[in-house]
Amino acid sequence: MSDSSDEEYLGTDWLPYSERSEWADVKPLPQDDGPNPVVAIAYSPKFREVFDYFRAIIASREKTWRALELTTDALRLNPANYTVWQYRRDILRELDANLKNELDYLTEVIGQNAKNYQVWHHRRVIVEMLNDASQELELTQNALDIDAKNYHAWQHRQWAIRTFNLYDDELPFVDRLICEDQRNNSAWNQRFFVLKHLGFTPEVIQRELVYTMNRIRIIKGNESAWNYLVGVLRQSEDGLLSSYPEVLEFSEELYNAGNRSPYLLAFLIDVYQEQALQDGANEQLARKVYTLCDDMATKHDVIRRKYWQYVAANLKSQLSSKSAK
Amino acid sequence: MSYHIDMEDAAANEPVLLSKHSKNLLRFLHLLPARMASHDNTRSTIVFFAVCGLDVLNALHLIPPQMRQDIINWIYGGLVVPRSNEKQCGGFMGCRAMVPQTDDAELQECVRAYQWGHLAMTYTSVAVLATLGDDLTRLDRKNIVAGVAAVQRPDGSFSACIDGSESDMRFVYCAATICHMLDYWGDVNKETMYQFIMRSLRYDYGFSQELEGEAHGGTTFCALAALELSGQLHRLDTCTVERLKRWLIFRQVDGFQGRPNKPVDTCYSFWIGASLRILNAFELTDYAKNREYIMTTQDKLVGGFAKWPQSTPDPFHTYLGLCGLAFTGEPGLSDVMPSLNISMAAYAHLKQLHESWRLKGDENTTGASPYSIATTPELLDAAMEQQMKMCDDSETSTSPLISAQ
Ligand SMILES: [Zn+2]
Repeated sequence: MSDSSDEEYLGTDWLPYSERSEWADVKPLPQDDGPNPVVAIAYSPKFREVFDYFRAIIASREKTWRALELTTDALRLNPANYTVWQYRRDILRELDANLKNELDYLTEVIGQNAKNYQVWHHRRVIVEMLNDASQELELTQNALDIDAKNYHAWQHRQWAIRTFNLYDDELPFVDRLICEDQRNNSAWNQRFFVLKHLGFTPEVIQRELVYTMNRIRIIKGNESAWNYLVGVLRQSEDGLLSSYPEVLEFSEELYNAGNRSPYLLAFLIDVYQEQALQDGANEQLARKVYTLCDDMATKHDVIRRKYWQYVAANLKSQLSSKSAK
Repeated sequence: MSYHIDMEDAAANEPVLLSKHSKNLLRFLHLLPARMASHDNTRSTIVFFAVCGLDVLNALHLIPPQMRQDIINWIYGGLVVPRSNEKQCGGFMGCRAMVPQTDDAELQECVRAYQWGHLAMTYTSVAVLATLGDDLTRLDRKNIVAGVAAVQRPDGSFSACIDGSESDMRFVYCAATICHMLDYWGDVNKETMYQFIMRSLRYDYGFSQELEGEAHGGTTFCALAALELSGQLHRLDTCTVERLKRWLIFRQVDGFQGRPNKPVDTCYSFWIGASLRILNAFELTDYAKNREYIMTTQDKLVGGFAKWPQSTPDPFHTYLGLCGLAFTGEPGLSDVMPSLNISMAAYAHLKQLHESWRLKGDENTTGASPYSIATTPELLDAAMEQQMKMCDDSETSTSPLISAQ
């Protein structure tokens, strides 16, 4: 929740609507907040006036160029007002306005309000109306250059890619972002999104596993990379973590070299557990899990100690119910 | 005796400044400064944070009876009831920007075309009414749920309102809260809703805002709560549930983060905490560390909680911080019903209303499913007791308040 006001943005040479001759024919309509309003906002005179005029044009169903400009002012004062955005779209349709201009306007607004739901939604609708998404990759790239984890920008980018089939150049873009910041979880997610579309064939899986293991070699305690590794393994035909033995080898190597990243240990726990359950109560593998869980709980991941105790207990009960059968 | 004071002990002993938080939240019910004008459209969510926050603080009595009535009346003032020949836009508005002060019937008629209920505002409005003990008799439940069904998309997701809104997991959640609180699902399609939720489950086993977006703590809460409220949580298989727990448990750093490799933020003590409560796994977290972090974001001067230490507190993080603390059993705070994000007392009141609607054979409830959420009898008893006390307090006020997010 942030307090943002674009009061200043409207400039010092602001002329009130009541003093504009071209608006002399409009009678402003005040808001009816009821007799004893709560959470009443002490609107600035400017805010109050702009919305009084906005209500007036809605009430007279006016859809003109000056009405469009009025919505621009209203949205600068409150870009979260979804009704103003909706009315703006109704005006644009009525005027059969050049929507390219609207895209330019939105590029500017998004530059200032990159985390506003309504702005991004408006952008989506206009792009749909134009049936032209040629600017969307650049637009979202600019937003991601400022904040590489901006959820709105990623959502819009995915939508554009999915709707207009823009997958072709996405992998290099994602790769660049992962190189810049290997901990960028949004970029890893986008990588999964692209490859899922292209198809997780055995070759793709193999390549992605190598790619990810190389990343993990650089930063071993990176949860994003480990999650991606597991996610890709589960795309294999049998969905097992042990289906590509080189990953287990790689992990055991890291472990034997002394690495104790909780994500590495969690992965080993998962693989051994999976194998223990498959192998029909393999005691040796189960003991490995218990030892690792105990190490996590007491040394490497103490904040999750109750969880690791739970994981061990869970396996124990699963195995005993198995052997009971 | 040692003079050495351990930093952790200091944080562990840090008291929650209950009365300061109450005063802080109360202030937001009064006049807000001009700089908050960008929150104009979501005024009812501010009421929600303030009222529900006071409830969790056991401080609803600080709202004078007249003001309590004013809140209820103001909330009802945002109710949109479509006529039979109009679009199904029933529900609550969060503000009055589209309500003009005029006697001119024609002008009113034109503006009316832009008055729509908004799912998030309907959710928070009904939750506030329930929290204040209103009996919801001024609502046409069927009409409101028709409005919910009208904004469901073919893919099962929901928009916020009939026109001009994105659709995503937030509104799936709001739709589920509304139907659950009104004990009526009408034409809402639970099956496609379930399909949409499951299509948004990611490879790391968090849920995204929509489809293949990044898994996120807030949207994971929305997804799980919607499943619980619609009685569909049991459809998750054991394996999925265990992986969900893993993703959620791994969000704890000291407090909780919303996504891997993102900074910790007070509000995730609620989003992640509530998700784990829904999965019955919250006790696997580290309560002390969680509390310690939340306490570093407490504003000792003016009350309230912020997202980060040394940041400005706001009602959103204040309320969710309090809920996060309530989950760890903080003394002085009421327990919170995780999936509705209201107090157990308010939830008990809702259940009482459901019971009375059913006894009356209210036509609205025909075909409704039985309660799907288990609360321990002791919890409910305690909650009821508290509710009764609250009703006593409010007896001096005028009407429809007394009977019993
Ligand atoms: Zn937050």
